[in-house]
Amino acid sequence: MIRSWEFYVDMIFVTAKAWILSLLGRFLPDWIVVLASITISGVVILCLGPVIMMYLTLLERKVIGRIQNRYGPNRVGKWGLLQPIADGIKMFTKEDIVPANADKIVHLLAPIVIVVPALMIFLVVPFGERMTAVNLNIGLLFFIAVSSVTILPIFMGSWASRNKYSLLGGMRTAAQMISYEIPMTLAVVPAIMMSQSLSTNTIVLAQTGDFDLHWFIFTPWGIVGFIIFFLCATAECNRPPFDLPEAESELVAGFHTEYSGMKFALFYMAEYMNAFTLCGIAATLFLGGWQGPFLPSWLWFFGKTFLLICVMIWFRGTFPRFRVDHLMGFAWKFLLPLTLINILLTALWQFTSNLTAWLWSILILGISLWILVKLNRTFVPEKRHYPLES
Amino acid sequence: MPILEIAAKFGTYAVMAVILIFALGVVTFRNLFHCALCLAAALIGTAVIYVVLQAEYLAAIQILLYVGAVVTLIIFAIMLTEHLAGKTARQNNSQSLLAIVGLLGFVTLLATLILKTPWPVTPTALQAKNSVMGLGKALMGTYVFPFEVISIILIAALIGTVVIAKKDAPEEPL
Amino acid sequence: MIFGMGVFKGMMVTLKNFLTSYVCKPDNGGIFTVQYPEEREKVIENFRNFPFLVYDETPEKIRCVACGICERECPPKCIHIEMALDAAGKPTRKPAVFDVDYGLCMNCGMCEDVCPFDSIFMDHAFEVTAPEQSEGLVRHKERLMKSNEYFQKVRPTLASAIDQKRKASEDKKKAAAAQAPAPPPPSAGGPPAKQEPK
Repeated sequence: MIRSWEFYVDMIFVTAKAWILSLLGRFLPDWIVVLASITISGVVILCLGPVIMMYLTLLERKVIGRIQNRYGPNRVGKWGLLQPIADGIKMFTKEDIVPANADKIVHLLAPIVIVVPALMIFLVVPFGERMTAVNLNIGLLFFIAVSSVTILPIFMGSWASRNKYSLLGGMRTAAQMISYEIPMTLAVVPAIMMSQSLSTNTIVLAQTGDFDLHWFIFTPWGIVGFIIFFLCATAECNRPPFDLPEAESELVAGFHTEYSGMKFALFYMAEYMNAFTLCGIAATLFLGGWQGPFLPSWLWFFGKTFLLICVMIWFRGTFPRFRVDHLMGFAWKFLLPLTLINILLTALWQFTSNLTAWLWSILILGISLWILVKLNRTFVPEKRHYPLES
Repeated sequence: MPILEIAAKFGTYAVMAVILIFALGVVTFRNLFHCALCLAAALIGTAVIYVVLQAEYLAAIQILLYVGAVVTLIIFAIMLTEHLAGKTARQNNSQSLLAIVGLLGFVTLLATLILKTPWPVTPTALQAKNSVMGLGKALMGTYVFPFEVISIILIAALIGTVVIAKKDAPEEPL
Repeated sequence: MIFGMGVFKGMMVTLKNFLTSYVCKPDNGGIFTVQYPEEREKVIENFRNFPFLVYDETPEKIRCVACGICERECPPKCIHIEMALDAAGKPTRKPAVFDVDYGLCMNCGMCEDVCPFDSIFMDHAFEVTAPEQSEGLVRHKERLMKSNEYFQKVRPTLASAIDQKRKASEDKKKAAAAQAPAPPPPSAGGPPAKQEPK
């Protein structure tokens, strides 16, 4: 056994769990050990989700602050590290306001239900080598299915609030999420085609190679798929510039206008956890997941994921909000055809993966992009001139 | 592990009971929006049953298509027609006799189908048919003709909606 | 023009801002924020805030003669003055009570302008807090009085000018007193120097 210390660092969490289970197995019956195994994974995910969400808010505020030439929160604790906890206490102690005409039960259920799919996606995210909570053989499909459920609680919250802003926000959310789910699903297809599996673990394993750097993003279809997937992911978790459902300048706060205190915090939490899992899935599909040289696998995964989250925050610091019709047009008229072309490219790559394939891909992509841009040009009426009467 | 198996059994029955309760809710609630939510819950419960029966692919598709798409469309329609979701909307049918006759016919059809199907299937056959790859191969091989016919029908329907929608639109390009 | 170039340019701008915020000085794209309780911006000399009373060497030698001009001129009427009386019930030209309600004061500086005895001036102290509004923000004579050295410190230009003027008028008075010693000098308070009140 020439397992170096690197192996043990890599497997530190897996080994820890196995050690706890073997300890329990000595004096407890088997079925308790099975339950304990489930419980450990469950508890880890249930803690990881909210903690990640809390510190994502801090990261976002810090990065946005730096982009706008100011410090972010830096008063509570060193570098503001306790700020999320202070925010949490504030949220817990706030008054919970329910509108008089609201549908009380649905209004209460919506924020609770929205956390469930957000947490369930964590189940299939491969955090590291052998660190997938449930190694489903339909992992990716599970992710797509569960994230499509997110629309339902948003609908519940927006409808139950009995508020025009909430309702408008909910309608916009539904329209946007349904529209962007389609290019997102189709952008995933090339990765499935090349790894011939729906399991997130197998997709990561399909990206090994010299130095663990055979990531899908280093292929023409990979980079196109990644960009499309990432844009759709940004739209799916309603982050700027796709934050029409909660457009502050138009809809107060969109579907969670009538929520306060902990219920609002739950909506917020679901949003950030979705952002994290979507970035994690994007990293898994196209950036090689936990694959990477030298560093332990879980560090690679979290590094890639947080890099993608930083890009999302960067988007937020840069772009103004889309107009509604542009948003829909972008999904249906631009991303959707591009994903279909991308699937064709993948098929091409499957049969001839060499330099000529690169050239062909670039050619096809260039032409299709040009055509799409031409077709998508917005109609600008010609400027009218009214000659002065002489 | 008999304890776990018993627990799983009871869990499954509990899920079934929950599905039935929600299904009852679908037909008894006055508020259409609540009905739609109950429908979503019942469909998710069905997906759980699929998972218990080791048909994960079917479960995922069930959630993706029925909860993610169909129920969402239903709710969309309800939200667009506000008065349907009002508190005064009546939830019974004036033609209940016809409905009962139709229901009985449907139940007998379903029952005969269930009784006629040879249920004892071997685990190996189940595995082969259940895998995503097997499904894909069947769709692209054995059943390619019906699959393509269905897609043609779908495209025809899509074009039809576009044509219908187009007529209402104003003539000018803007 | 390549499609998406504008998006890329915009992102580069924000990226540059993000990076320069760590390395550059405020004027070249760094952070402008002043971390207030620890760091402070330098208060400029002509900054004016709530009024205070100047005394010369000791608190007994207060310049104020309780004439009440500032009390009358104050637009929000935040000054309250009562003249001190000696044992015989005669006014002593000293304030017994001098209250300024900082909660009412609007920092206009009118009192500074009208004071003929160079007694009341605007301060630099802006961190004024109190647990409640009615009593807590009222400043009594003891807290309002600050030494001439303090005045020299916070507003050196004005303070020196005032000192010079006061010294010149003092000298003139002495010279006049040396010439005609008939009327006795009024009291410890300085003579009218600025302008005659209406």
